[in-house]
Amino acid sequence: MYLLKNALKSISRAKTRNILIVIIASIITISACIALSIRQSAETAREASIDQMKITAQISVDRQAMLKSVQSGDRTNVLRNIQGISLEEMLSYAKSGNVDDFYYTLTSSLNSDEATVPVDTSEVTESTEDLNTQFEGMGPGGSRRGFAGMGNQGDFTVVGYSSHNAMSTFMDGTCKVIEGSVFAEDTKEPDCLISDELALLNDLTVGDTITLINPNDEEETVVMKINGIYHNSEAAMSSGGDMMGFNAASDPANRIYTSYTALRAVVDNSEANAVVEVDETTGREISTALRGQEAGTYVLADATAYDAFQKDAEDLGLDTSIYAITSPDLDDYEQSMIPLERLSSYAAYFLLIVLIIGGAILVIFQVFAIRERKYEIGVLAAIGMNKRKVAAQFIAEVFIVTFIAIIIGTGTGSVISVPVANRLLQDQVQAVEVSQQTTMNNFGGGFEGRIPGGAGFLQGRMDGSGDADYISSISANVDIVVLLQLLFIGILLTLVSSASAIVSILRYDPLKILSNRS
Amino acid sequence: MSTFTLNNLCYSYGSRQRDVISNLNYVFEDSKVYSIIGKSGAGKTTLLSLLSGLVKPTKGSILYDGNDISKMDPYRYRSNYVGVIFQSFNLLPHLTAIENVVLSMDISGKKITGKKEKAQMLLNSVGLDDATAHRRILKLSGGEQQRVAIARTLSYEPSVILADEPTGNLDGETQTGIINIFQDLAHKEGKCVILVTHSPYVAQMSDMVYELAVKKD
Repeated sequence: MYLLKNALKSISRAKTRNILIVIIASIITISACIALSIRQSAETAREASIDQMKITAQISVDRQAMLKSVQSGDRTNVLRNIQGISLEEMLSYAKSGNVDDFYYTLTSSLNSDEATVPVDTSEVTESTEDLNTQFEGMGPGGSRRGFAGMGNQGDFTVVGYSSHNAMSTFMDGTCKVIEGSVFAEDTKEPDCLISDELALLNDLTVGDTITLINPNDEEETVVMKINGIYHNSEAAMSSGGDMMGFNAASDPANRIYTSYTALRAVVDNSEANAVVEVDETTGREISTALRGQEAGTYVLADATAYDAFQKDAEDLGLDTSIYAITSPDLDDYEQSMIPLERLSSYAAYFLLIVLIIGGAILVIFQVFAIRERKYEIGVLAAIGMNKRKVAAQFIAEVFIVTFIAIIIGTGTGSVISVPVANRLLQDQVQAVEVSQQTTMNNFGGGFEGRIPGGAGFLQGRMDGSGDADYISSISANVDIVVLLQLLFIGILLTLVSSASAIVSILRYDPLKILSNRS
Repeated sequence: MSTFTLNNLCYSYGSRQRDVISNLNYVFEDSKVYSIIGKSGAGKTTLLSLLSGLVKPTKGSILYDGNDISKMDPYRYRSNYVGVIFQSFNLLPHLTAIENVVLSMDISGKKITGKKEKAQMLLNSVGLDDATAHRRILKLSGGEQQRVAIARTLSYEPSVILADEPTGNLDGETQTGIINIFQDLAHKEGKCVILVTHSPYVAQMSDMVYELAVKKD
């Protein structure tokens, strides 16, 4: 008890020095508090996001893996003969117990007849037919089975959904039916949804029909009935600098949605009536059939189920040297975490630097304090106070001062950590956005490659606008974990700064000190 | 009853140095005042340091109540059994006189009730009034500091009092007062009082005198 009493007396005796130590230790604590709050918030946000997230996954051709697995001379042929995964195969993997739901789409590209004008911002006056891009198995899944053989791209992208749940842009609110209603899930009728921009441009209303033409065969037409008109909230925002400036089919306003069954029937009918010719130059078959590309989406409960599904699919026969399971949700999630992860990483380095510099300053303070109090140590030891008790008193002094600093630092830190953390996070978001926008612009707006993020690289799936839903605000609260960490830091600083004092005290010979003094 | 028994006690500063103290075989008994005299360099203060456990003998031993003090816990030994009055007092200057005395009682670990009152009483008994007792050490004269040092030593009731030049800074009247205190401690309270002194007067007032001679190479 008297140790504590003596410690308090000693603290009050050396007010100036101890106030200075409190200020330094408070600055360390405030910095540590902010850094730890950021790290804790990042961890909480990470866990909360991943827990709440319903993960979707797709199976696609892993072109890179395929190309790597063959000799360099055969790579062109391998690329030409890539086979996308069939719906039957996708359905077989959906049997995995980890799959909550499975839905699929069929995407095709059609032209309009003269009566319907596509929304086209490309400012190209020539016939779109002249500018048509020829498909050659370059869909998102790398599927050749869908857009098999060479084919022309139309002005409209028609997507057939097996389920309303598959209509992710409607599910997340990006698109909304503003007139009429959605088509029935399993209807065979070519009922469709068109965008409000397309409807406005062509004076179309619910109940009207539009005639679409097979871009490979002008004689083949498809008449679709407008069941509803939707508004895409991102269509207007993303109208600058992406691929839609190059062709009409890339414009979200030219997307027509229908049921899978209806579009399947159209594509099947086209294939049945197609004319197949052999190109004299290349010797390859060219079909007039309407191209269609199928894609499946697996819905998984969480990240654990996603990992388990990967294993299940392999067990069920998925050739992982050709196909890869990817999750845009996880990619988006990782993308959204980039600024926060970066900030969290910076916070860790910052904390380390603050602790090293702060610790060094406190050590120097203690070294001088001990030299100053050498006589006191000598007297205490000479009158019978055990050196360990003398050391304990010094540790108590440092701890009391550090504890006061922790209280002040934690109080201040908890108040300023939220605005400071959010300010730093917004700076990070801005930095990442600028960096990614630069990358997007460099690629003409259609970049789908690797976006720099954090210490390494993360696969960044960018939509047409290049926008990612970053976490730009956190509630950097000082919770019990942060408090315990701060207390640990306080104890650590106390021990580190006291270490020199303890060593000195234990080495001091009281008689020598007193003799020198005399 | 013998308090200290010195058996062929030797001490040298460093292994190649000559012995400052060589083959001492003194006996110190309780209820007596001893004076250790000798010229400068004879080893008087060194003997006091040996008796107080601040240094260990290079040869021989010191027995305290039959126990070798080099095998005892030096801190417990100093804080409980012997009271040392240093030549330069070695009081803590940032504390008051009374706080210095109370601190010694705290360090001894003995259960003493009313430490402040006891400290006040001891300071009064060595001739310091209440106002002086509450002054910081730096504000006290050499004689007053000497008295505080004595009061501090008496506070935890050690059986041996070791004092290095206890009257060195005092005037004649105060000197007599202090010697009277030591005599009372020995003769009335049964303590063994060992004084290192140059003063013939102090030696004369002692029950027994040991004279140390300067060792020659």
